Amino acid sequence: MSAPGAIQSLAFVCPRYAAGGTVGGAETLLRELARRAARAGRRVAFLTTCAKSHFTWANEIEPGARRDGDLEVRYFPVDADRDAERFLRIQGEIDRRAGVSRADEEAWIANSVNSRALCDHLRERGGDYDRIVLGPYLFGVTWRAAQIHPSKSFLVPCLHDEPFAYLSIMTDLFRAVHGCLFNSEPERDLAARLYGAGGARGLVVGMGLDPFEADPSAYAARRGLAAPYVAYAGRRESAKGTPLLVDYLDAFRARTGRDIRLVVTGSGPIDARPFVIDEGFVSEADKHAIMAGARAFVHPSVMESFGIVLLESFLAGTPGLVHAGGAVLRWQCERSGAGLWFRHYPDFEELLVRLLDDDALRASLGARGRDYVRREYAWDAVERRFFQALEEESPKDEG
Amino acid sequence: MADEIFEAGPGAEAARVVADVRETVERKMREGAYADARVAAAERTNLVRLSTDESFSAYYLRCLRDAVYVDISDFEIRERRARFAPLLVRMKKAIWSLLKFYTYRLWSQQNQVNGLLVTGIEAIDEKTEQRIRRLEARVAELEKRLGERAP
Repeated sequence: MSAPGAIQSLAFVCPRYAAGGTVGGAETLLRELARRAARAGRRVAFLTTCAKSHFTWANEIEPGARRDGDLEVRYFPVDADRDAERFLRIQGEIDRRAGVSRADEEAWIANSVNSRALCDHLRERGGDYDRIVLGPYLFGVTWRAAQIHPSKSFLVPCLHDEPFAYLSIMTDLFRAVHGCLFNSEPERDLAARLYGAGGARGLVVGMGLDPFEADPSAYAARRGLAAPYVAYAGRRESAKGTPLLVDYLDAFRARTGRDIRLVVTGSGPIDARPFVIDEGFVSEADKHAIMAGARAFVHPSVMESFGIVLLESFLAGTPGLVHAGGAVLRWQCERSGAGLWFRHYPDFEELLVRLLDDDALRASLGARGRDYVRREYAWDAVERRFFQALEEESPKDEG
Repeated sequence: MADEIFEAGPGAEAARVVADVRETVERKMREGAYADARVAAAERTNLVRLSTDESFSAYYLRCLRDAVYVDISDFEIRERRARFAPLLVRMKKAIWSLLKFYTYRLWSQQNQVNGLLVTGIEAIDEKTEQRIRRLEARVAELEKRLGERAP
């Protein structure tokens, strides 16, 4: 653990607090960074909204401050006057890349999830915090909070190559903050491409992962599963590429005649084909056991900024098989030497056959993955990068 | 890119396997190993992901061309249940001979439509490509002229 340096007090701002296991990777990342900072001796306040669902943004949690371990979590109500209908209409246009006006962009962010109470707290008590860490980039709460004390605000963008990233208001956000804490080099490159050098200041920090041991035969034995399987974990939706994975596995089984199953965990709909085993939400230990027993962890998403589950599968000693179009996941595979990448079905078929038939290749990729995550994403290394990023340049208080 | 950067690093083996597989895939593509309706169907969601990759759209159009025609030829009629198998096979054959005329007519029309659609898409693709090539040449020419004019 790092000793407290110049930074004594930190505020984290995120639309939701990852109290359970049902939130996204960005929320988990911010919570973990906050927890680590608190354990390292800093005073940390986690400022969030009372919402649980990112679909309704309804206030479901009682406002106020509560402790969660070393963290003080402050819940603020979501503004009740948001025009959800207008928000969704403009969002649809942005999503279709229809080209919206600046006024519509502003209306979209104004009707996104916002909290005046949270912003008022930052205005009144902002002086108490040496640094403010906010994210992810595309929510009203983040966007508004970043404008309050920009010179000591650091954005954890979790940026993807998606239509929202191309809005002009996002250029303002990335350029306004003091710096960014990126999850990967491709994410920083994307910020530089979209917002110029001024929008890509900051360091690559990432998130730490605790090593674990998992028995590769435990899941199959418990399930009575004799056939080999590949695994996927996380949200199941077209943006994550799960329909593509199911289609590819279906074609693979039909063309090669091999009985290979797909074991999926997480939430969201998935095509219920006979070879798909949907485990839904499982404990971390069960997830790790599923990963450890898989012949490969297939992650076809092209919109990731870090790839937590891919790195977890590396820790489980399982090689990754990712989409070549996903810059971040491919970067993780290339850098670690623990995974392979496919452009289309023919690549997928040939690579999966190799992984299924070549035990030595699988073992060697698996060993590299474990070493890579233990080296690059040990919490000590991540904490060092995190505080280095925050301390690199002493921001001036805008007064 | 990966091949150059990871020549000796931890990623060398992975990059080598990927490069090796790509070579195999190129060869098998030329041999028509992926000319399969199942491959074309599996790629439907990949189109959006690689929409900027020109080689992918060319490959997908090839897949589509190979997969476009529904097989309407006769097929072997079998029966898995051992009991009454010969009788059941004869019955199925009789039903098929009655339906054949209608399904043949239906599927041959479908094949015509599919074929025309693919030809149409290929024509649009070719036209767009030619147009882009012409525009690129024009831009290059204009840039050259501007460069000559600059002091």
